[in-house]
Amino acid sequence: MISVEHLTVNFGPSVAVRDVSFTVAEGESFGLVGESGSGKSTILRTMVGLNRDWTGKISINGADARSAKRRDLARIVQMVFQDPYASLHPRYTIGQQIAEPMKINGIANPDARVGELLDLIGLGAKFQFRFPHELSGGQRQRVAIARALSLSPRILLLDEPTSALDVSIQAEILNLLNRLRKELNLTFVIVSHDLAVISYMCERLMVMRNAEPVETLSREQLRAGEVHNDYSRQLIAAS
Amino acid sequence: MTGPLVDIKNLRVAFRNDEGGYNEAVRGVSFSLGREKLGIVGESGSGKSLTGRSLLGVLPPYARMSADTLSFDGIDLKTISPRQRRALRGGRMGMILQDPKFSLNPVMTIGRQVVEAIRIGERRLSAAAARQKALEALESVHIREPARVFNLYPHELSGGMGQRVMIAMMVVRAPDLLIADEPTSALDVTVRMQVLSILDELVTQRGMGLIFISHDLNLVSKFCDRVIVMYAGRIVETLDAKHLHDAQHPYTRGLLACLPSIDGSLEPLPVLNRDASWLEAAS
Amino acid sequence: MTTETIIDPRRAVREASLKELRSFMRRFLRNPLGVIGLVIVLVLIFCAIFAPLIATHDPYLPTLTARLSAPSADYWFGADELGRDIYSRLVYGSRLTLLIVGLVIVTSAPIGLLIGAVSGTVGGWVDAIFMRITDVFLAIPKLLLALAFVAALGPGIVNAALAITLTAWPPYARLARAEALVVRNSDYVNAVRLAGASELRIILFHVIPMCLSSVIVRMTFDMAGIILTAAGLGFIGLGAQPPLPEWGAMISTGRKFIFDQWWVATIPGAAIFIVSLGFNLLGDALRDLLDPHLRQRN
Repeated sequence: MISVEHLTVNFGPSVAVRDVSFTVAEGESFGLVGESGSGKSTILRTMVGLNRDWTGKISINGADARSAKRRDLARIVQMVFQDPYASLHPRYTIGQQIAEPMKINGIANPDARVGELLDLIGLGAKFQFRFPHELSGGQRQRVAIARALSLSPRILLLDEPTSALDVSIQAEILNLLNRLRKELNLTFVIVSHDLAVISYMCERLMVMRNAEPVETLSREQLRAGEVHNDYSRQLIAAS
Repeated sequence: MTGPLVDIKNLRVAFRNDEGGYNEAVRGVSFSLGREKLGIVGESGSGKSLTGRSLLGVLPPYARMSADTLSFDGIDLKTISPRQRRALRGGRMGMILQDPKFSLNPVMTIGRQVVEAIRIGERRLSAAAARQKALEALESVHIREPARVFNLYPHELSGGMGQRVMIAMMVVRAPDLLIADEPTSALDVTVRMQVLSILDELVTQRGMGLIFISHDLNLVSKFCDRVIVMYAGRIVETLDAKHLHDAQHPYTRGLLACLPSIDGSLEPLPVLNRDASWLEAAS
Repeated sequence: MTTETIIDPRRAVREASLKELRSFMRRFLRNPLGVIGLVIVLVLIFCAIFAPLIATHDPYLPTLTARLSAPSADYWFGADELGRDIYSRLVYGSRLTLLIVGLVIVTSAPIGLLIGAVSGTVGGWVDAIFMRITDVFLAIPKLLLALAFVAALGPGIVNAALAITLTAWPPYARLARAEALVVRNSDYVNAVRLAGASELRIILFHVIPMCLSSVIVRMTFDMAGIILTAAGLGFIGLGAQPPLPEWGAMISTGRKFIFDQWWVATIPGAAIFIVSLGFNLLGDALRDLLDPHLRQRN
């Protein structure tokens, strides 16, 4: 479904990601874990084309991420951002924001689908006439998930989806994401600094440090403590 | 020293709302602190940060605060002049905030800021002696090359380094009370342990009182002696940190249960069903 | 139950927006100075609309017997050198003032907003070219450029307004660009970008709405400056031409009598002062409410 080969991303003179390769199978949930500045979010942003300066090869559902048209990619892969307070436009109602991707892509009858999507993520259709500032952080993150699902993508990239939320809200969002993955047969790539969240959400994960991959583990290996790298061990000990 | 270091009774903080009335964000909080590590835990909006800020007198100007008792080492904080309060803040009380970037002056080198902090306490100190003391302070918070860091500007530091500098500035003042508001949540897990151990040294070696405000129950229970759990502006439960996992209140138990863990179950996480009666829980 | 699910979406959105507006008004009314400013501006607009009803005399009709008469029950603010009622001229003059302000604002703000938003969002050489043009306009002294323009096209109200426009748009471009630079990298813009939105759509529907509030604040502040510049042009005879009751031109003719008949020049001067103050107070209050840097997150 996704294959990333020898990805290197530069921000001017500094290297944000160095020689990262991984693959994600259809329906799988893959985790990227590491500290801030380790380049994990940059990988997601590069996959959806928000960074331009990169080398290597990224293919998503058979399409080359470099040459594919953004509109074609939009129907396959969507992203949920870290800060729910910054990812919704403050001047539009919830409904307008969820409908926007469908209007851009000429999908018929977006208003009806907005209601369905809001029901799906557990807020209810009546929320579509509210403005973002009337919503709590958790509700906003649900809206962001609904917006990402509006084009019925097959892959969802989740950039620290719960790190700005309280733990009780985090549990609700994680449960929601797991339910959606099962119901809609989605493929996830999740970025987090929290190893416990990744272990709960992902079948496989890659540990990153200082822009470089440290090691790739399966959930079973992680749980059994079959970890080879010192740094990964530190991470486990600390969480 | 007799009596508690900090004594708070019936603290209330309110903010004006759109309709012109007041919304209470802290609703009758009472606790006292000795020379110990006290954790205050709660979710965003629980009033935990406002409680710490009330003590230091650094609430936003549009907030309205009242309390029956608000004292620090026998000094009534409600009636002292702004000048005395500033003196207390510069000397015997200190605060560490979540993000060091907002607390350090961006156009001054680290060294000058630490020296300035030293000079507030000891005006007569010579420049060389103050510098020496600043370097020692930086070293005491496990900064490896204090002489190099001395000449850096805040933007040249990583988050963890900046946080340690903030603590160093607190160390030189040797406050009796330190309020740390989410001091480690902007830090990476590997750095977090170092910062915590520095704070711990301060409490055990210098007999400082520490109020550790955090949203992270597990962290607080590992680090603190006593934990106060806040919900919607009230204290719902006060616990010995060692017995956190025997918490009685459903809110505390809910918070503990909804955390995923590396080797935990893969079933849906239990979610918190907020009960209206928690709002009126005894403080 | 079914009646509840059938909501007219357009009405519901309108209601939600109205609710926002009401909460905005409530916060605005808490600022007394801003309310004073708003009242001054509303009085100005009221005067302009109902000038024929409010005025006591014909603003153009000379009454030679009343030449330079002092303020009295008949001539509330006195009469000018041709015996025209100054009060009535002031009232009619408010139309000219609003006309110039309106003309300048509807031309300069959208031009500046569009140039700034495009420049900031697209970046690259587009940004470089647009901003250098803006710099050039900013480098020429305002009044000088206006003077040259009016001198070339001939004096008159519309030409004066055009001349002021020519000098008024660059600050808007700067302002909008600064906002756009922040907004274009925000996650909510990234989200629509990921949905395949074109840059044009992003600029029009997502960047410009975010620039609007600071542009509106700037506009209110600018209005005071525009009134002053227009009056200045009128004063030196390059704006409104006699016998139009333009406030600056009125001061200019009253100048000759300033020592003996002070009211001829002072009254229009006071009007300019009060109206400028009103716009500034309003602008201040709006900035407190709208400026994204002063507003808190929630």
